[in-house]
Amino acid sequence: MTEKVPSKNLERTVAVIGNPNTGKSTLFTALTGVHSRIGNYPGVTVEKKFGWFEHEGQSIRLVDLPGTYSLSPRTIDEMVSVDVLLGRQPDVGQVDAVVCIVDASNLERNLYVVSQVLDLGLPTVLVLNMWDVALDRGIQIDPVKLGSRLGVPVVPCEAHRRKQIDDVRSAIVRACHSPKTTPPDLFPEAFHEEGRKLQAEFLQFSNQTLPTYLVERLILDVGGQLETELTKPAPEQLITRLKDARERLKAVQFRVPNIEAKLRYGWSRQILNGVMTVPEKRQTTVTDTLDRWLTHKFWGLLVFCLAMFIVFQSISWAAQPLMKFCEFGQKQVGEMVGSLLPFGPFRSLLVDGVIAGVGGILVFLPQICFLFLFIALLEDCGYMARAAFLMDKLMTKVGLSGKSFVPLMSSFACAIPGIMATRTIENRRDRMVTILIAPLMSCSARAPVYWLMVAAFFPSISWAGGWITLHGIMLFVMTFFGAAVAVPIAWLFKKTLFKGETPPFVMELPSYKIPSPRIVLHRVFDRATAFVMRAGTLILATSIVIWSASYFPSDHTEEQKVLAEIRQAESTFATELDQKEQLSREREKFGNGPSGDDQPIAQIDGKISELDERLKPLHDLFDRRNKISEQLLAQSFLGRFGKVIEPVVKPLGWDWRIGVGVLASFPAREVIVATLGTIYSLGGDVDENSQGLQSALQSATWPDGRPVYSIPVAMSIMVFFALCAQCASTLMVIHRETNHWGWAVFTFVYMTALAYIGAWIAYVATGWLMAA
Amino acid sequence: MSSVVSQTLPLELLAAGEHGIVVEIDGSPELVVRLEEMGLHSGVQVYMVQTGSPCILEINHQRYSMRFDDSVTVLVDVSQ
Ligand SMILES: Nc1nc2c(ncn2[C@@H]2O[C@H](COP(=O)(O)OP(=O)(O)OP(=O)(O)O)[C@@H](O)[C@H]2O)c(=O)[nH]1
Ligand SMILES: [Mg+2]
Repeated sequence: MTEKVPSKNLERTVAVIGNPNTGKSTLFTALTGVHSRIGNYPGVTVEKKFGWFEHEGQSIRLVDLPGTYSLSPRTIDEMVSVDVLLGRQPDVGQVDAVVCIVDASNLERNLYVVSQVLDLGLPTVLVLNMWDVALDRGIQIDPVKLGSRLGVPVVPCEAHRRKQIDDVRSAIVRACHSPKTTPPDLFPEAFHEEGRKLQAEFLQFSNQTLPTYLVERLILDVGGQLETELTKPAPEQLITRLKDARERLKAVQFRVPNIEAKLRYGWSRQILNGVMTVPEKRQTTVTDTLDRWLTHKFWGLLVFCLAMFIVFQSISWAAQPLMKFCEFGQKQVGEMVGSLLPFGPFRSLLVDGVIAGVGGILVFLPQICFLFLFIALLEDCGYMARAAFLMDKLMTKVGLSGKSFVPLMSSFACAIPGIMATRTIENRRDRMVTILIAPLMSCSARAPVYWLMVAAFFPSISWAGGWITLHGIMLFVMTFFGAAVAVPIAWLFKKTLFKGETPPFVMELPSYKIPSPRIVLHRVFDRATAFVMRAGTLILATSIVIWSASYFPSDHTEEQKVLAEIRQAESTFATELDQKEQLSREREKFGNGPSGDDQPIAQIDGKISELDERLKPLHDLFDRRNKISEQLLAQSFLGRFGKVIEPVVKPLGWDWRIGVGVLASFPAREVIVATLGTIYSLGGDVDENSQGLQSALQSATWPDGRPVYSIPVAMSIMVFFALCAQCASTLMVIHRETNHWGWAVFTFVYMTALAYIGAWIAYVATGWLMAA
Repeated sequence: MSSVVSQTLPLELLAAGEHGIVVEIDGSPELVVRLEEMGLHSGVQVYMVQTGSPCILEINHQRYSMRFDDSVTVLVDVSQ
């Protein structure tokens, strides 16, 4: 190894390909340390991903690809894989070698795509993944013999336990320096002959020589993507030539397209004969037992609904204490920063803008983590595909298929990966309808709005010994509200814009497995970081804008004077304030009822009012501050603007502050929480025991003294957020995935209109119900 | 079941727990090719795990959910 071949250190590009759900992304992550999304259902990866590693002095750029059943792509995600392999994606360039991953427990089928990959002639490494599963089933495979028959190195591996990863690395590096392989020739000479003829004809029409591989694929893929793309130079003539070629082949018993499967599976069986032994008897597995229940027509659906219900109950139950803790932390930080800085715009920017705004959204971090924990568990245990199976029946009623379910389910986390996941849907019309309704699924950015409103305005009632809470039920209802509205909308789209048959539905059901902690925790961590990042960038920026608009151009000198007096008074009355706080805590233990003739309670209440009497100067100061800041806010840019839009939002029961908050949250819906935090911190009702945003909302009033918020207003806000398209990134992804701005605009318009009408109905209907 | 004469019938008519060997897949070429690539091709043994629409099939331990419609017919031989 003394002499250095110059090309040795050039970075080589290696593509990872194989059937869906065989562990490509798991192996990719193990090899490169770059996390690619992993889940136990087909179609997790829908876009290529790059990672790098170095082994034996050779640096390798690895490309993780969407799974594909064959190299004749039928969906957009498969198209990505095939394009990369054929070197037709400019950002990847030519591929130097291929890692073909197969599921060792289902080798015969997996070899189908392997035989197509071998036809490319690229240096190939065959990885027999899921070796543990194959062993469990009693399947015996001889990797050495298999390798010599195929003419490529074969490496058994368990990607999820990171076993034999180094063997894979060495094999990849060696393959990069191997010559091209000679593909096994499965096809008769007559077929190659037609290929050459067609190649000549293409040269004639387009002046470019198509690679033999592509021309032959063109003959084999009837109605495929290649057919439309490659015949572009002269569609009519070329398609006629293509059809003629297929006809001539038919005459010699070479029937396109069925012949390909026959030849390749024949080859696969021949290769495996004597290399693999499969036990005669089929053992019953855990999957059999679980499927009997989980895919049952009645029990399956019941389990599905129950599981969802429990998820939301437990989020509201388990995350509540953590959130209280976060809120406490937010208040402490706010007070500390506030006491350190002199009164002025800078202090206000930090305390009212950043801490009240961004902090207001960050307190929901525990809930976000819990939500993603559940989603990750669902994705990695193998249940997703079952849920799609169960939902197929319902989906066909609106003209979609179970295929649409997985993207929609992903949209509950975030619509962006959800919309990308529609790439796995073959039928174009179905894919379009799924994209258009995906933003209606309640994404995790909507959750903070629901949590805030539900916690502030719905009484905390619980049943069944605290196991079922009204808050949990409300969160459950709001989360599925968007999905329920999506049903008639999907039906409408399918009846008008995208008329067509309900497409057929075939989907692999992976075996169940125990979710792997590494994958689950990484996904939670990943989403939590994304949430914090978003709060630190987009939401921070909007908070600052909102703060500036609500602070300027008013003159704040008088307010600052009062604030200084309050600080003075607070230190004068420090002992009284302490006593009062202690007493209130004691009082809380007795519940919120009136004192009645209960001696100890009456005593405490008496002491508290006595203290209040003494604290009167302080209370008067608070009142003055509130009046001033209310005025200042009304005179600010934001306040003036708010008054202009108030008539538009008044029918929904909102005051101008909510109106501005909602308007500010069109780029990203979580902004509402931050905006309300800033607005109420600047101009809200505060006294010595005001506790963050929740209590600010509870005590907000109209100018005439009526409270702004009530259950109907909370409902109208929640319904608006459930239905509105307040996410710029989603609209951008819709544009990219549909290749048209029109659909992004359409989504925005239809959802916003729906939201306004929905919020109005919710306001009126709840008001009416509450009155009855 | 001991008869040597081959009995073919459409796959969706199998009862839960029954199995057969695929003899022919007919229908729109795109769907037929997709099914073959996914593993449902002539010569494989297919089990009906759960009937209905969609149903659950099993081939070599691999389960599939599938909804049949007019666009494709899968004939299986149940004589063995
Ligand atoms: N038992 C076992 N499970 C594995 C092994 N490798 C990966 N898995 C699991 O298989 C599942 C699928 O893994 P992915 O890496 O997402 O599969 P993929 O091939 O990238 O799938 P797509 O992107 O959908 O095509 C995950 O639940 C992994 O934990 C293995 O060697 N043995
Ligand atoms: Mg993947």
